[in-house]
Amino acid sequence: MSDAPFKNPGWAGNTGEFDLTEDEVRGDDFVGSRPSGGGHPSVSATYPYMLAEKNPDTPLFEGAYKERFEKILTRYPTKQAALLPALALAQEIRGYVSPQSMDRVAELLELSSAYVRGVTTFYTMYNKAPVGRHLVQVCTNISCNLCGAEDVLAAFLRYTDTELGEMSEDGNFTVIEAECLAACGFPTCVQINSRYYENVTPAEVPKIIERLKAGAAGGDV
Amino acid sequence: MAYPYVSDREVRVLSKNFGDPSARRLDTYVERGGYSALKKAFELGPDGVVDVVKASGLRGRGGAGFPTGVKWSFMPKDSNKPHYLLCNADESEPGTFKDRELIRWDPHQLIEGVLIGAYAIRAEHAYIYCRGEFFETTQVLARALEEAYEKGYVGKDIQGSGVDIDITVHLGAGAYICGEETGLMNSLEGQRGQPRIKPPFPAAVGAFGMPSTINNVETLAAIPHIVAHGGEWYRQWGTEKSPGTKLFCVSGHVNKPGNYELPLGFPLMDLIEDVCGGMRDGKALKAVIPGGSSVPILNAAECAACSLDYEGVVEAGSMLGCASVIVMDENTDIVKQVRRMVQFYAHESCGQCTPCREGTAWMTKILQRIEDGRGTEDDLQTLLDMGVQMTGTTICVLSDSAAAPVESSILKFKDEYLALIRRGERVGAA
Ligand SMILES: Cc1cc2nc3c(=O)[nH]c(=O)nc-3n(C[C@H](O)[C@H](O)[C@H](O)COP(=O)(O)O)c2cc1C
Ligand code: SF4
Ligand code: FES
Repeated sequence: MSDAPFKNPGWAGNTGEFDLTEDEVRGDDFVGSRPSGGGHPSVSATYPYMLAEKNPDTPLFEGAYKERFEKILTRYPTKQAALLPALALAQEIRGYVSPQSMDRVAELLELSSAYVRGVTTFYTMYNKAPVGRHLVQVCTNISCNLCGAEDVLAAFLRYTDTELGEMSEDGNFTVIEAECLAACGFPTCVQINSRYYENVTPAEVPKIIERLKAGAAGGDV
Repeated sequence: MAYPYVSDREVRVLSKNFGDPSARRLDTYVERGGYSALKKAFELGPDGVVDVVKASGLRGRGGAGFPTGVKWSFMPKDSNKPHYLLCNADESEPGTFKDRELIRWDPHQLIEGVLIGAYAIRAEHAYIYCRGEFFETTQVLARALEEAYEKGYVGKDIQGSGVDIDITVHLGAGAYICGEETGLMNSLEGQRGQPRIKPPFPAAVGAFGMPSTINNVETLAAIPHIVAHGGEWYRQWGTEKSPGTKLFCVSGHVNKPGNYELPLGFPLMDLIEDVCGGMRDGKALKAVIPGGSSVPILNAAECAACSLDYEGVVEAGSMLGCASVIVMDENTDIVKQVRRMVQFYAHESCGQCTPCREGTAWMTKILQRIEDGRGTEDDLQTLLDMGVQMTGTTICVLSDSAAAPVESSILKFKDEYLALIRRGERVGAA
């Protein structure tokens, strides 16, 4: 995946003396490709990717998604416990959790729609409205903030030509602020769809955006 | 090997495989002696394992520092209900970034720790609750767990022992409060992640209403080493009350931020000056938050005498928390950083308790007002009064955590607040 040299490939590599490739640091070489049916049931709940290509009209829980959903149900003593994984699956294919998706999940898990709405709105990772192909989340919490996170956020807004939380006109980007992403020693940390980009400085922002536009970071991210 | 930075003062027990991608594979892990502690645990029996962990003095690494062996011994021994072990991988405390590294560099170390923990508390199912943002990290764990299932280290009749333990990896969805133990349980059950009133305690009524124990990733990752080598072995590092090694997450204005595994009791100034290569750009030290954003801030004078163990940091005027050391240089705008932290708590408050819900929101507004040069001297007293009302009055300690940086910074850096209030002057504003 990573052949062209890229100063900030999204890992802690360029701060220290790593001589590993980006894939090795991220673990991509070990993880391999993602089984669409969810793999072993013990980990079926762990593949709610943020896909770049989102389709709000995709039917929910059919085909491979049905397989994953059913595997997930086997791992908990109650049906309700599958709620968070089910919402994540809905978001994966549709890009956000619409009221219709909530109703469908409620029906499948035998819960009331109001209950599912109450849970969905509690969690920040469920997008309540459509977002761009690349959801850019810039951590501005303390450790990143001390090292210039606000400038990184400003650079993302400038180079995507968007306002905070608004989708860019071409539908490519939505930029939001994030709370601590647990990568505080590698500031500024930015999560773009499913991936972490670490040690991001304002100077690198245009390069990251170009890379995303060119699709160099893989179709999934 | 040079995981971004290493120091020769480190004792790399849990972190020895950081920066080594081959350690993710089960074969490599086993070649290096992995899963032998699990075998030994089965020989010791559940109570034997609890005794070893008690003897080691290991204290929970999730923030509270409660002795792990003692916590395990609270679990009923003859209950016919299912028992659950929950591994807390929700890592969201600002300044903390160790659990993600432990999972993505050495997933089998955690899986082995989870298995031993589950065995010790007689659980047949363990859940690893990872924060939702950890897609990449969780995938590494997922692949490792699949390998462990394939090779018979997890599941039915583990390695012919007759012991059955299942592990399921679960993802959260972005809520700091799900790191609180009972918030995590509610979230796992498919509810809003709001903490529960205690008692009942999790060992009696936990996840799905059943006896449960919850442990942090780093706590469980230490277990295989302790079981393999014994409790006394672990005590060769650290102090009498804080034994062992601990991962220190250093962030902020140092030359070499990162994770360093050091014996507990390590001097804070040695960590900054020696291990982390000193302050960035040769600036002077102004303040340190030694345990993640939830603990009181220390000024430079307090840092000088601070030894990094649970008791030592309390003596210096703060708490060790999860050993997330946030370092700030002379140019740091303390008021702004405190406002940013409190804003975080306001965002993450689950809203059940009035002092927390209202307190965090109002503190943010008042701090913002001061920051914008529109504050009054009375505001400082108001903030301190609010801090008192927010401490010890709520279901969980998120409220206390929000008050801690405000109170401590007003007491220790009052000049900066006053300069902003009186003259609109920021300290070190870049
Ligand atoms: C608001 C709040 C957030 C917490 N977040 C975490 C967390 O992200 N990870 C963690 O391990 N413990 C967290 N804790 C501590 C847990 O409640 C619990 O004490 C810990 O997981 C127990 O594990 P240990 O005994 O191994 O430390 C949090 C506590 C509170 C009050
Ligand atoms: S203290 Fe705050 S976060 Fe904790 S239970 Fe109360 S409202 Fe929720
Ligand atoms: S403060 Fe930015 S990742 Fe923790």
